Amino acid sequence: MNDPRGDHLSVVVDLSPTQWHLSALQPPANVYPLPLSSFLSQLLAFLNSHMACKHENTLAVFGALPGKSVMLYSSTNPAKNLQVMDSNSYPPFKLVDTTVVTRTAEELDALGDPDEEEPLGLVGAMTKALCYINRITLPPAQIPGKKQGISNSLVMPEPRILVLSVSPDHATSYIPIMNSIFSAQKLKVTIDVCQLYGPETVFLQQAAHLTGGSYIHLERRDALLQYLIMSFLPPPSIRKVLSVPTQDKIDFRAACFCHKTIVDVGFVCSVCLSIFCQPVPVCSTCRTKFPIKTLQRLNASRPPPNATNTTRTTTGTPVPQSASNPTTPALTQPTSTNGSSVHRPAQARSSLSQQSSM
Amino acid sequence: MPPRRDAEYMDVDSDSDISLPDDDYDGSRAKGKGRSKTGERKSEKGKGKAKDNQAYTWEASYARSWDTVQEDEAGSLQTSVEELLARGRRRRLLAPAAAVRRTIIRHLILLLDLSSSMMDRDMRPTRFDLMLQYAREFIVEWFDQNPLGQIGIVGMRAGLGEKIGHMSGNPQDVLKAISERHKLEPVGEPSLQNAIEMAKSTMSHLPTHSSREILVVFGSLTTCDPGNIHDTLDTCVKNKIRISVVALAAEMKICREMCDKTGGQFGVAMNEGHFKDLLFELVPPPAQRASRAAGAGATNPAADLMMMGFPTRLPDASPQSFCVCHNELKSEGYLCPRCQAKICDIPTDCDICGLMIVSSPHLARSYHHLFPVKPYEIVAASEALSERATECHACSRPFPLTPAASATEGMSPVGRYRCPECHNEFCSECDVFIHDVVHCCPGCGK
Ligand SMILES: [Zn+2]
Ligand SMILES: [Zn+2]
Ligand SMILES: [Zn+2]
Ligand SMILES: [Zn+2]
Ligand SMILES: [Zn+2]
Ligand SMILES: [Zn+2]
Repeated sequence: MNDPRGDHLSVVVDLSPTQWHLSALQPPANVYPLPLSSFLSQLLAFLNSHMACKHENTLAVFGALPGKSVMLYSSTNPAKNLQVMDSNSYPPFKLVDTTVVTRTAEELDALGDPDEEEPLGLVGAMTKALCYINRITLPPAQIPGKKQGISNSLVMPEPRILVLSVSPDHATSYIPIMNSIFSAQKLKVTIDVCQLYGPETVFLQQAAHLTGGSYIHLERRDALLQYLIMSFLPPPSIRKVLSVPTQDKIDFRAACFCHKTIVDVGFVCSVCLSIFCQPVPVCSTCRTKFPIKTLQRLNASRPPPNATNTTRTTTGTPVPQSASNPTTPALTQPTSTNGSSVHRPAQARSSLSQQSSM
Repeated sequence: MPPRRDAEYMDVDSDSDISLPDDDYDGSRAKGKGRSKTGERKSEKGKGKAKDNQAYTWEASYARSWDTVQEDEAGSLQTSVEELLARGRRRRLLAPAAAVRRTIIRHLILLLDLSSSMMDRDMRPTRFDLMLQYAREFIVEWFDQNPLGQIGIVGMRAGLGEKIGHMSGNPQDVLKAISERHKLEPVGEPSLQNAIEMAKSTMSHLPTHSSREILVVFGSLTTCDPGNIHDTLDTCVKNKIRISVVALAAEMKICREMCDKTGGQFGVAMNEGHFKDLLFELVPPPAQRASRAAGAGATNPAADLMMMGFPTRLPDASPQSFCVCHNELKSEGYLCPRCQAKICDIPTDCDICGLMIVSSPHLARSYHHLFPVKPYEIVAASEALSERATECHACSRPFPLTPAASATEGMSPVGRYRCPECHNEFCSECDVFIHDVVHCCPGCGK
């Protein structure tokens, strides 16, 4: 690319102490243990290679900690207290490395030792990254009285955010995460996600999918640096010609508003589109009352909680997503008349069971 | 920004011949000139009306904003413009949030006339450019009010219907489809029948209780159809497709009849402002319009609880299997969460179990209206600055150390705005960005 402007990369690092402790456990708990120290050294190598790609490239690192989020490093506000330079290292690399490591250690030490970990500030870190990108991509004229800001405020061609997560989904953050995704779409920011530890995250999958980024659930955790460099170093425009890992299944499940559980079938208020996991007489968000008839119909058509999906999935496990078998439905006769006849007995059965329970 | 808009405004109002980047379509230009006599007369009439009619809000607020701009000491407009923007936005933030009511799924095909009659200049700069500009504004507004909706775009030119943008729920996709002006260059005669048939076929998979609408922007006075357009009209009535027409030239009987029979709206635009009004009347959902006319009571009769499924999207590289909607062998698709049937497009009703399947991100697009970020408080200069944060909590830009000498009302002299929940302080740019775009406070995550 002959673009004189550099690419901007904002990295959001999940620094949850509990999850990193679990991640560092030796086999048999983990096949490939990954302690925070080893992660940081690989991350630094990745950050250095981003800066080495082009002199104009800009970088910002945000940390998500329990209950808060902080900016660890940014190339527009260099560290205030410059350390003694090591004659054996390239100064810009040394600056990033020492700043990120010391700031991370400071923040983790400041956490203390609480009995219960607060929810992770991932949303805060992502929104901060967006605000930061918004600020540095504003046209120079809109920044009042900041002469030195002008050189940094050329519109960036491809700003992107890389989220390195080790924590599972937090259902309370569903709405804020979705809001951040839509604002990233508006800013044309790509969100890349690398889930380093733990289960797949539904919300971050959607974030990567909706902004055109990549989502990788890391299995060979000893090869972290290779994954980072092969899939996340090239800007999105170059990835089209590279063979980067494609996103696997994308789970479009959402969190209900009433219990913050993640649901695949929900009940939606037609006025405000709030999602509920069970039929409710009044919408808790907009106070709309729903017709009694609808409630009766929905309660009747709802399968008993333990019978979900047992009719169709071959394994019969109560986890519908993992047990899905895409080939089975193709064998059924795909006509809508058939569909309604499949549906009716189930409805009758569940309404019978309801009557007997009353 | 006001200076640039002023230039546009002057162009619109001046009588000088506007130079268009049209070196590559001499044919249509020549045709435009041939018609220029009638065009000229029309435009005089339209302009007269536009001038008398200063009541349009977009014109009025525009004029005022220009009057209030003043140069600063250095003779630059920049700070004034800056303040004006910030103040306008802040005023909007502080206004009491009106109760926002969303309605159910809508599907709209925007049928744009791309025939040579769209090059007429009775609307400035041309009917075609004005239509594109208003279509963009319409799409943004429409998605804001109908977050679950989808818009597709079909063009009418050279006697054919031409698919320009696929049905999509992402405003960016739809806007991109009409962003390249040179690909939409008007040519030939329009065919209403062909275009409506094409629009109809793209809406065939949609769920039963979602609305299907066609909005036609029609500049021509003729249509050249291969068959009987009344047959097409009858199938539209049968499929409950609502057709609305905004005509730019005059009333055509067939257009009026289409709207009347399908329950749509018909209007002839008299001038630029009226054209926009006619389009934007079609933004709120039809049911809502009816209830509003009846004096919207506290209980919305249309309110209901709907059962919806959120599917899993299969990757493009997954093993091939048959879809239940077309019986085709393909890799990509969505799995119904209840019966695991494979479906090509969402939103739709599952063909096997009848569950309505939607993409949950589409629902989430409207949630910022439900849980808005509280307006930030303006930090006054008198408040002690010593133990406060020295930089913006969101973007880490350092705050100014000395208070600005002249701070207008609604602006903080120290450039700080505080969240009432988490008491973190933000700069004015982040304040505007958080409330207008992100809808989530970086400090408290709400
Ligand atoms: Zn719930
Ligand atoms: Zn509601
Ligand atoms: Zn299909
Ligand atoms: Zn189904
Ligand atoms: Zn800021
Ligand atoms: Zn806050």
